Amino acid sequence: MNLDFSEEQQMITDMARAMFEEHSDMDAVRKLEDDPKGYSDGLWKQMAESGLLGLTIPAEHGGGGQSLLEAALVYEELGRALASVPHFVSAIMSGGMLTEAGNDAQKGAWLPKIATGEAILTPAWLEPDRGYGPVGVQLAAKADGDGFVLNGTKQHVYFASSADRLIVLARTDAGIDLFLVDPKAGGVEMRQILSQSADAQYRVTFSNVKVSADDRISAAGSGWATFETAMYDGIVLLAAQAVGGANKALDITADYCKIRTQFDKPLGAFQALAHYLADASTRIDGGRVLVHEAAWSRANGRSIRRLAPMAKLFCCETYADATRMCEQLWGGVGFTLEYDVQLYFRRSKQLQLSWWDTPYLEELVAVDVLDS
Amino acid sequence: MDFDFTPEEQAFADKVDKWLVDNHDPVVMDPTRENFTQLADTPERRAFMKKLAAQRWLGMSWPKEYGGQEIEGVYEYILNEALAKHSAPQIGKGVGIIGKTLIRHGSDFLKKEFLPKILNAEVEFAVGYSEPQAGSDAANMQLKADKVEGGWNLNGQKIWTTSAHFADWYWVGARTDQDASKHTGLSLFLIPMKDKGLEVVSLPTIGKDTTNQVFFNDVFVPDEYMVGTPGMGFQYISEALDLERFTMFTLSPSTERARLLIEWAKEAKRDDRQIKDDPNVRRLIARIVTDQAVAKGLSVRFVCAARKGGKPPTIQSSQYKLFATALSQRVCKDALDIQGAAGQIREGQDEGPIRGRFEGAYRATVVETIGGGSSEIQKNIIARRHLGLPKNF
Ligand SMILES: Cc1cc2nc3c(=O)[nH]c(=O)nc-3n(C[C@H](O)[C@H](O)[C@H](O)COP(=O)(O)OP(=O)(O)OC[C@H]3O[C@@H](n4cnc5c(N)ncnc54)[C@H](O)[C@@H]3O)c2cc1C
Ligand SMILES: Cc1cc2nc3c(=O)[nH]c(=O)nc-3n(C[C@H](O)[C@H](O)[C@H](O)COP(=O)(O)OP(=O)(O)OC[C@H]3O[C@@H](n4cnc5c(N)ncnc54)[C@H](O)[C@@H]3O)c2cc1C
Repeated sequence: MNLDFSEEQQMITDMARAMFEEHSDMDAVRKLEDDPKGYSDGLWKQMAESGLLGLTIPAEHGGGGQSLLEAALVYEELGRALASVPHFVSAIMSGGMLTEAGNDAQKGAWLPKIATGEAILTPAWLEPDRGYGPVGVQLAAKADGDGFVLNGTKQHVYFASSADRLIVLARTDAGIDLFLVDPKAGGVEMRQILSQSADAQYRVTFSNVKVSADDRISAAGSGWATFETAMYDGIVLLAAQAVGGANKALDITADYCKIRTQFDKPLGAFQALAHYLADASTRIDGGRVLVHEAAWSRANGRSIRRLAPMAKLFCCETYADATRMCEQLWGGVGFTLEYDVQLYFRRSKQLQLSWWDTPYLEELVAVDVLDS
Repeated sequence: MDFDFTPEEQAFADKVDKWLVDNHDPVVMDPTRENFTQLADTPERRAFMKKLAAQRWLGMSWPKEYGGQEIEGVYEYILNEALAKHSAPQIGKGVGIIGKTLIRHGSDFLKKEFLPKILNAEVEFAVGYSEPQAGSDAANMQLKADKVEGGWNLNGQKIWTTSAHFADWYWVGARTDQDASKHTGLSLFLIPMKDKGLEVVSLPTIGKDTTNQVFFNDVFVPDEYMVGTPGMGFQYISEALDLERFTMFTLSPSTERARLLIEWAKEAKRDDRQIKDDPNVRRLIARIVTDQAVAKGLSVRFVCAARKGGKPPTIQSSQYKLFATALSQRVCKDALDIQGAAGQIREGQDEGPIRGRFEGAYRATVVETIGGGSSEIQKNIIARRHLGLPKNF
């Protein structure tokens, strides 16, 4: 047993932290709030040049071929900085699905471009008033000649306005299929939906959108399995992001508690407040080890059917709880837009609700523990 | 980074596991019963400890010159967790707390007298820090030690001395300098428990264990039985407490309880329906296994930090104890909530689910967030030493 990073892993952490500090300071984060594009070309270019965009894309497709563990280190830093980039939807989710199940042509066309940032892909998954599981996927894909016709609505499609392709989860006669859809195709319409964390997400409607059979990823009916595999990796990284965000919010709050005085004492000298912070720090540090264990397990070929949902469940809840507590400790100023802590507070809840929420994750864990 | 044991560590874990299966003793190892101390004074337990000693598994991390093997503390962690997994008694205070402190601070005389006996499981200790006015505020000990010819004369009282009713030696903190500050006037002594000046009065608890009050009436302790330098007692005790927090609060009893609960829940029925299909039960159990995984992470983190040598890693140990002991209590509470009315059936009766294991555990685990430094004290440590908050509490 050894929880130390290798030299190379430490370098990735340091590099990511320095990059995000420079290109995603709080002014940059604020500028991107509710922005229709939602990311800056400057940071995107930096990430491409440093190899972070393609970090987990296989080397034969122009990526770095690194494991989920290296990616988790980057995501913790991304979480600290609140860096807004389409990396998760493009490199992790879309790149993950294509790597897992794409054919040679699809891989060749998209993976190298994802790795360099030239192309952005994003999953179109959730639907209004529907849940996170496979039954939630109801957007219809009817066979039509040698292709399909899509009809339905998707919601929470991140960075859709910048996307070169959407990976649409659709219901066919065979079950759930994944289609690469050009968002400029006839019948696709998108409208930005403003969210709690002021990110760039869209409602996308599909009215008789034609796709060719070549644009289906893998065999008929295999779509959910492909999506789920990418999700299990993805939620480990979101858990890492939550750890980073929670830790940074805790750091700035502890620092504030050293300088703000009331009743002639620094706030941190009131034990009622210090104990909140001590509890939060324990949960954050515990969550971090769980993330590392999940990512390490995946990197070493072990199943993460239990560890991955546990990591997202615990870390996202910790992030939301810790930042709510931090809001309390900042008093009135924390409630204003001027102070940074609210940026973390809003994003934490959004992260908990997105990409499988608490009850869904609990059920995934329960299935693994009780029904197997 | 590596969450697996090294091949050598894994081989040791397998060996211990096999040995515990081969040496299964239904009297000292009963999975339906809380194991940590209640069998403490039985001949069976003493015999079991001797067997562990014969394996050379006591004091493995001690230096070779004192009979240890100078191997990493991780081996003691593996042993402790395996013992707990098999519901066997823990290695106890001698090797983990008293032995390690004597090695660091004891005279040659004390080392010679005690270290071999500890390694051979020939001596049982009781630890006397707490007094009515010195629980969390350990530095406030008032037990008075007056200097007399050739030694010290002790008068006063201790409370909460577990094992005082059967231990051979008493490891005691006392005030040797009335004028010094709270933290600098304390010293540590070793006293034979059968000293005629000691009076032990038992204090029954809501767990199954008895603890004790101990009264000191002119107890004479020769100079050679003071540990280390006079006035340094509090420093030694703090170090020893860092060790105790970890050695005495292994995660496995709690992991084992969670495992038993899950096994039971998979089979149990109410109104002809499977309990495990109740959404609320599924939710509670998902949370228990998740939090157990986090607690395991915190304990591994402590072990890995401790391996780097030097002083025990205080922050990691406090975080682990804070999280794991609260969880241990919560697992018992959740288990009783899941079991419903039958959960109240007293431990040991066949009518109770898992023979009332969770009823007993529910009472027993209350002390985990109090003993060895309460949760609040752990939070103070984390707030001050880890987060750098002002020293005002
Ligand atoms: C939206 C809004 C509207 C408001 N409207 C009004 C208004 O109309 N009129 C008006 O007069 N005021 C108003 N206030 C001010 C409000 O009453 C204060 O924000 C509040 O009393 C807290 O004071 P503070 O913000 O200075 O926080 P602080 O006093 O700095 O407190 C920060 C944190 O420290 C804690 N803390 C402080 N002292 C102690 C202690 N002794 N022990 C333990 N914990 C402690 C607090 O509970 C809090 O968690 C408003 C505030 C807001 C946010
Ligand atoms: C069954 C049992 C066995 C034990 N065995 C031993 C033993 O073998 N040897 C031994 O020496 N001791 C032993 N103890 C004593 C144990 O270490 C103490 O009970 C413990 O340290 C708490 O002290 P206290 O009981 O005096 O509680 P108190 O110190 O009076 O604490 C009461 C409450 O106040 C809180 N509190 C106290 N100070 C602070 C503070 N500064 N900030 C915030 N909250 C605070 C505590 O957290 C607790 O919640 C045992 C106790 C029990 C119950």
